[in-house]
Amino acid sequence: MAEEKIMNNPCQYDDEAEQAKYLEKRKAQMEEDFAKPFDPEAVLEVRHLRKTFPLKKNMMGKVLKELVAVDDISFKLMPGETLGIVGESGCGKTTAGRAILKLHQPTGGQIIFDGQDITNYNSKQMRPIRQQMQIIFQDPYSSLPPRSTVGGILSEPVEVHKIVPKEQVKDYVLELMEKCGLRDYYYERYPHEFSGGQRQRICIARALSVNPKLVICDEPVSALDVSIQAQIINLLKDLQKQMNLAYVFISHDLSVVKFISDKIGVMYLGSMMEFGTKEDIFSNPLHPYTKALFSAVPNPDPTAKMDRIKLEGDIPSPANPPKGCRFHTRCPYAQEICKHVPPEYKQYGEGHFAACHLLDQE
Amino acid sequence: MSTPKKSNNHYLSGKEIRAIAKENAKVIKRLEAYKKRKAEESEFLTEMKDNRNILEIEDLHTYFFTEQGTVKAVNGVSYDVPKNAVVGVVGESGCGKSVTSMSVMRLIQGPAGQIVDGSIRFKAYDYVRNEKGEPVPKEGGKPGEYQMEEKIYDIAKMPINEIHRIRGKQVAMIFQEPMTSLNPVFTIGEQLDEVTLIHVPGATKELAKEKSCEMLRLVGIIPENVYDRFPHELSGGMRQRVMIAMALAAEPRLIIADEPTTALDVTIQAQILDLLQDIKTKIDGSILLITHDLGVIAEMADYVVVMYAGKVIEKGTVYEIFQNPLHPYTVGLQKSKPTMTLDDSTELYNIPGNVPNPVDMPEHCYFKERCAKCTAKCSGAYPGMVQVSPTHFVACHLYDGENENG
Repeated sequence: MAEEKIMNNPCQYDDEAEQAKYLEKRKAQMEEDFAKPFDPEAVLEVRHLRKTFPLKKNMMGKVLKELVAVDDISFKLMPGETLGIVGESGCGKTTAGRAILKLHQPTGGQIIFDGQDITNYNSKQMRPIRQQMQIIFQDPYSSLPPRSTVGGILSEPVEVHKIVPKEQVKDYVLELMEKCGLRDYYYERYPHEFSGGQRQRICIARALSVNPKLVICDEPVSALDVSIQAQIINLLKDLQKQMNLAYVFISHDLSVVKFISDKIGVMYLGSMMEFGTKEDIFSNPLHPYTKALFSAVPNPDPTAKMDRIKLEGDIPSPANPPKGCRFHTRCPYAQEICKHVPPEYKQYGEGHFAACHLLDQE
Repeated sequence: MSTPKKSNNHYLSGKEIRAIAKENAKVIKRLEAYKKRKAEESEFLTEMKDNRNILEIEDLHTYFFTEQGTVKAVNGVSYDVPKNAVVGVVGESGCGKSVTSMSVMRLIQGPAGQIVDGSIRFKAYDYVRNEKGEPVPKEGGKPGEYQMEEKIYDIAKMPINEIHRIRGKQVAMIFQEPMTSLNPVFTIGEQLDEVTLIHVPGATKELAKEKSCEMLRLVGIIPENVYDRFPHELSGGMRQRVMIAMALAAEPRLIIADEPTTALDVTIQAQILDLLQDIKTKIDGSILLITHDLGVIAEMADYVVVMYAGKVIEKGTVYEIFQNPLHPYTVGLQKSKPTMTLDDSTELYNIPGNVPNPVDMPEHCYFKERCAKCTAKCSGAYPGMVQVSPTHFVACHLYDGENENG
């Protein structure tokens, strides 16, 4: 193997030409995908979503350097389904979630929500759609207004979106609180009187108060203790069954994602590394990063001895992502081609996608 | 929907608050005077119960005197750390696991927080001191070499101005947030050198630098890359490595790692845990690992201590705790953690309710309200520690009878 490397011409690959070839191919793929009709059944369809942030501008305002936070992710989500997005910090999973909600304006790609292309909707056009898509944030301590009561927090969206006639708002809210495991006398209380788990229940109730079709859960349980975490996960699952909700569940905790998701997307440095159903991803992971990520999770069984795939080093800065495959700097199986040619995101089996050169060689 | 609980339970009138504050001031004054007293070494020297242990915490009480009432953050905690072992302390937030470790380091935020009772016996390897309390030089040794001996200190009784004998030197701490635990205005090198300069009498700058570089190499960092850098230039994993290097610089006998990997990603966490295992064998010391992650405990620890609401509810070897958990809380905690191998078609087990309010803890078992196996006996006094095997202890009424029979 080592001899082969030496024998090969080290300058076998022209980085820029490979990059151009890759971009051209991707552009063609994008045009083809954009022309496809919308899936009428899917609640959310994301096609080649891209979000960049400018890092450096010249005096004319032209962007000289940019940070690619989300690079070309695509997926489809049916009603009642959960998509789990996992990845390490800085991999763009939160940005992806926010771009889907258009809290960040996407730089490229299409977001099709409920049969409408909302990518370029302005805030006025978004208003009726906002009701359909909601978010639950990570930190329940900073996402509730400290000056209004629980009743106030939960009635406001109901009143704004005119979900029920005004005189029925209180009854509606009380019913919602019961559904989310909140006692009725909490109605008059303020957020500071609650523990983290209770606050997260209030956040969930607020998100669900407008009967959304899609809820983006951005690390909803990572700030909570294990026993409370289990309560919230069960609540989310129950509500999903009752209301036929679609979730995008963003988390760094693989065991939680495995428990709640139907489909899973693994992200690394802004791009989707692997995507598939839960069974595919967990029983037959293809990408070396997915494998390494799974083997890094500590096992709460002291007798189990695991063969751990060790990843060396840190996640590179998204401002200067490595050339070729983004994962090659830490990949234990990296080869010469990985350092120069970006791998294509291809289908390997029904609904199972991955981006890795090694898979083509097998 | 159950009937509303008396909602104004925890609200105090101004008069009550003033009365509490007055009472607190008295207690705090006494304890602060005790803390700041001058004392002979003999006053805080003691004996170990079991000579194999390096740290013995016995019946420790650390309280916080607040205007809302006394918070018994640590309420009668006892556990031992044997030599060359990793002891994992696990529990949810607010269970007192960090306060216990802070008590060992005597870093409890005063004047509100005070060690009220109990003893923390630590086997130190310290300088032989003369009458003035100065180290005695080694006969025929190089400058900077002193006579050493094994001494057993009771940390809880030590006056605060003597604590430098052990804090940072014999017992070192790795904090949770590598971001906030390093000083942003000094380079990594300066911060590392400081440890040696303070703890080794007569240390020179050259010696300190040499030592710092050695420690950085030990944690897998090339010293030239980081020595002159500032903390913000490093990633989270690197910062945590620097923190570990800093803890190791004074060659401690016990490392307290307080949630060392909670702020890190899983792949980096795996690296740091490997490093800690490696370090333990290299320095021939013990690790007290505090975490809420059962997976980390199972992988790292030899002995496990489970805490709930300021008390130890179960302790034993890692196999006993994970394969034969006895306390309903330990069982619930393990069941409610989703794992990679769990069947996910069923509902996840969860412990209902919340931790009781720390200001007014009930007389009976603190877990009674959340417990599924609770019996009539549970309304009685707080259960004592029941010994199930030579190393396995549990504080639960369910096992009282078994012990009497066997």
